[in-house]
Amino acid sequence: MTGEIFWYQQTALPLLAFVQLLPLLGAAVVLALGERRLAVLAGKLFAAAELLLVGFAASRIDAALGFQLAERIDLVGYHVAIDGIAVMFLLLTALLTLLMTLYGMSRGMISPGRLFAVLLLAEAGLVGMLLTLNIAWFAFFSALELWAVVYLLRRWASSRAETQALARFVQYQGFGLALFVAGCFVLGWGHAEVSGGRWSFDLFDLTGTLPAGKFQTAAFYLLFYGLAVRTPLFPLHGWLPNMAQHGLIAVAPALMVGVKVGVFGMARFVLPLTPDAVLDWQPYVVGFAMAGVFFTAALAFLQTNLRRLLAFAVVSHTSLLITGLFSLHAAGIQGAMLLAANFGLAVTGMWFIVGFVFRRTGTTELGELSGLFERIPFLAIAFLIFGLAIVGMPGTPGFDAAHLVLEASIARFGALPTVATALGNVAAAGFLLWGFQKAFLSQEKSGTHDVDRTRPIEYAVCGIAVAALLAIGFFTEPWLQLTDAASQAVAGSFVR
Amino acid sequence: MSLPLLTLIVLLPLAAALLLCLLPARAARRVALLAMAVVLLLTTWLLFSFDPGGPRFQFVDRQPWLPGLGIHWSLAVDGLSVLFLPATALLFLGVLAVSWQSAEDAPRLFHGLLLALQSATLGIFCAVDLILFFVFWELSLVPVYFLLARRGVTVDAPQVAARYVLIMLAGGLPLLLAFIMLGSQAGSFELNVLLEQPPAIETQRVVLVLLLFSFAFKVPLVPLHTWLPQFALAAPGTLTALLLGLKVGGFALVRLAIPLAPDAAQEWHWLLAGLGTVTLLYGAVGILAHSNLRVGLAYASICHVGLATLGLSTLSAQGVQGAVSLLLSFSVATGGALLLIECLRLRTGSTDVQALGGVAKTMPLLAAGVLICGLAGVGMPGTSSFPGEFLLILAALDRYTGAGMAALFGLAIAAGAFLALYRKAFYGPASRPAVLAAGDLVWREWLVLIALVAMIVGIGIYPAPWLDIVRPAAEAWAAAIAA
Repeated sequence: MTGEIFWYQQTALPLLAFVQLLPLLGAAVVLALGERRLAVLAGKLFAAAELLLVGFAASRIDAALGFQLAERIDLVGYHVAIDGIAVMFLLLTALLTLLMTLYGMSRGMISPGRLFAVLLLAEAGLVGMLLTLNIAWFAFFSALELWAVVYLLRRWASSRAETQALARFVQYQGFGLALFVAGCFVLGWGHAEVSGGRWSFDLFDLTGTLPAGKFQTAAFYLLFYGLAVRTPLFPLHGWLPNMAQHGLIAVAPALMVGVKVGVFGMARFVLPLTPDAVLDWQPYVVGFAMAGVFFTAALAFLQTNLRRLLAFAVVSHTSLLITGLFSLHAAGIQGAMLLAANFGLAVTGMWFIVGFVFRRTGTTELGELSGLFERIPFLAIAFLIFGLAIVGMPGTPGFDAAHLVLEASIARFGALPTVATALGNVAAAGFLLWGFQKAFLSQEKSGTHDVDRTRPIEYAVCGIAVAALLAIGFFTEPWLQLTDAASQAVAGSFVR
Repeated sequence: MSLPLLTLIVLLPLAAALLLCLLPARAARRVALLAMAVVLLLTTWLLFSFDPGGPRFQFVDRQPWLPGLGIHWSLAVDGLSVLFLPATALLFLGVLAVSWQSAEDAPRLFHGLLLALQSATLGIFCAVDLILFFVFWELSLVPVYFLLARRGVTVDAPQVAARYVLIMLAGGLPLLLAFIMLGSQAGSFELNVLLEQPPAIETQRVVLVLLLFSFAFKVPLVPLHTWLPQFALAAPGTLTALLLGLKVGGFALVRLAIPLAPDAAQEWHWLLAGLGTVTLLYGAVGILAHSNLRVGLAYASICHVGLATLGLSTLSAQGVQGAVSLLLSFSVATGGALLLIECLRLRTGSTDVQALGGVAKTMPLLAAGVLICGLAGVGMPGTSSFPGEFLLILAALDRYTGAGMAALFGLAIAAGAFLALYRKAFYGPASRPAVLAAGDLVWREWLVLIALVAMIVGIGIYPAPWLDIVRPAAEAWAAAIAA
């Protein structure tokens, strides 16, 4: 880890502080407005303003230099900065939040004002996780975001089975968070031992005092599994399918897996802070991930519900991300990061469409859906484009990213495991196409012909997401440049 | 070249497809017609300005696309590929003419997909950057999927479409792996760089196996052909015509598989020869076993690409020249036959010989057209296929006498089997009501027929100019492999 550039060397204002405070301010304003109509509008405006602000911050940095726009208050351990990878995830977070507000999730819900406030709070949590360089702050923001999601799930339930899904969710996430916090303690303690009793959770301090031997292994395990639950990585994915099937449609899963903070956290904290343990355990992690691709693909084929199907798609492609990340190769890490952003955008888009379909039909059971293509062709094509992005079709960012992951994987693990993993991706294409055909192309059953046509706001939400995907897919170069230096830095700990 | 002619040719149909989204639905087919006609004009102009004796790659159009990954938007044509461009343009026009009336529902979607497919296909023929080639290769799957799933003629068409896409995606993987291996060793994905410095023999062996495996799906070579008969049955004849008429798989063998791994190809030429011979014989016997004209033609196509592969495996200039001219001729002959058979299906509702019989009485023009295309398909002297087939058989007999004899035998079976199918469908008493009620070709289809016959007979009688375009490139190709 090299140094950082402070904000006053680059801009007149501490931009990152504003980026973090704006969603919090938005949440407060929306909450204060109560259930007035204005509250919903204010929520949308704040989400749009955050996207603009993040865009502005992104334009002020130079991706070739390490951490930038840094801010530090040592007293409370506040330390934020961004690099190219964080910029990409920030833009994604802001875009997805804006799309969620446009998606019209408040339609027909009780207390829409509060819903928007909680959504903005969740955004604040995500932004905090992406910006901070202090692992304890990361854990705190993670808890904040999880609390927001739990509140969403509790208050705006969409079915009775919700309670069970919620219980499962809290158990898993609580456990994951506890592991992560314990991992933080191990690292902080290690620092205190070396530096004469001064505790610190700062990334820069900790990289100077890596724990040795089994302490490092313990820290690795605690942090890795803490984040693996969050990601979710097979076999710790048990919370996702239930939540996807029973939880608040679209928004809750999008908040949890749209922005892959789990994978981001691994690249930011786990790889640099426990490099020896990572090298030791790399074969097992990758082996599990490669097996997970197939196992989850097989499970996905057994699903009868479109929402559960998507959940398994997420678990399946997460395994691919982990393969890329744990190749510990600059190209693989870069590919994994790009792939994570691509998956996040594409899966969220698919979840929106499932939400639109649910509004029309009241069901997401594959057996009950049919012939939707005739009524909502635009949404059907958008769904397919998102699906193709997930399987890495050329023309979507998934292709260049998967190309990088494959390149790294051949270099590190050889051709055969790479082919096997990539075949798992073809299996993912299989179940996504299968779901698509069942829902959109199968022979129309009675009752589907009164499905509403696509609405303007639905064109807008899916149109923006599709346009963003295709634009990034055909002009990937700026994104490659953006993430290049940061990926090199992460891989730098593992040069052999 | 100041005007980026190839970029224009490749992107024009795609631009037209996007334009269709903004225009009213009734304008769709006219816009498509205009775009395809312009593409035909441009490709014809390209053909006439191509200098066979000049440098290998001409009309080079090279722009950085993803410099971070070393990928370029790099298009060029050589003597092996230049003829495929006008052939593609013509075949798409033929498809448009035949399906002019049949895309009443959602015409914008149908014509948009057709144009997108044309862009992808032209891109495959022009791309000289491996990754760009792969991009076009994979992108062509999307329109095919939708065209089949939405407009298939059997109930299970969506399933067949999904199976096709999955098989092709799986087949695409080894291709990408081989390209990444080649690119990361040479530091470039440019075809001309890779052709000049072939990698070590070990890498070549892996690359050749990966490429052969991948292209064998698309070509298709036995035993990876199983998707094709299903596809031909489920798809309308127009779509099958595009898929079988444009032999991108065979082209990819000529363009990439062998030249990129020349030493490995010399070592394992017997593998190619064996695959080709088995495919040829299997295809010939396959025609015998089916009663549906569309499936029969699919097997005929399998038979032809087997012959082309056998010829290629001789690694001689004669062989590759024959293979390229045969592939081109079959895009006219097989493509044309499938188009005419689609006209038949639109009238009678079936292409199974059991449901036909006596078609020649009510539709004499159509029957004559299918016969001419079919004779070209079996390599009758005087048709466009004869020169290519002759060169191939000569090359094969010269190098592998046994396989050459087997090929002759297989071709005889194929010719007999095709004529038997033809006789059952087109002669005999016309008893089916659908056949009796059907009318002959209308003027649009007439135009297609005249163009087809003119090309088949014209090229068949005077093949020299076409062969001259291919010959220098074919000689250079064979010399590079022998070196």
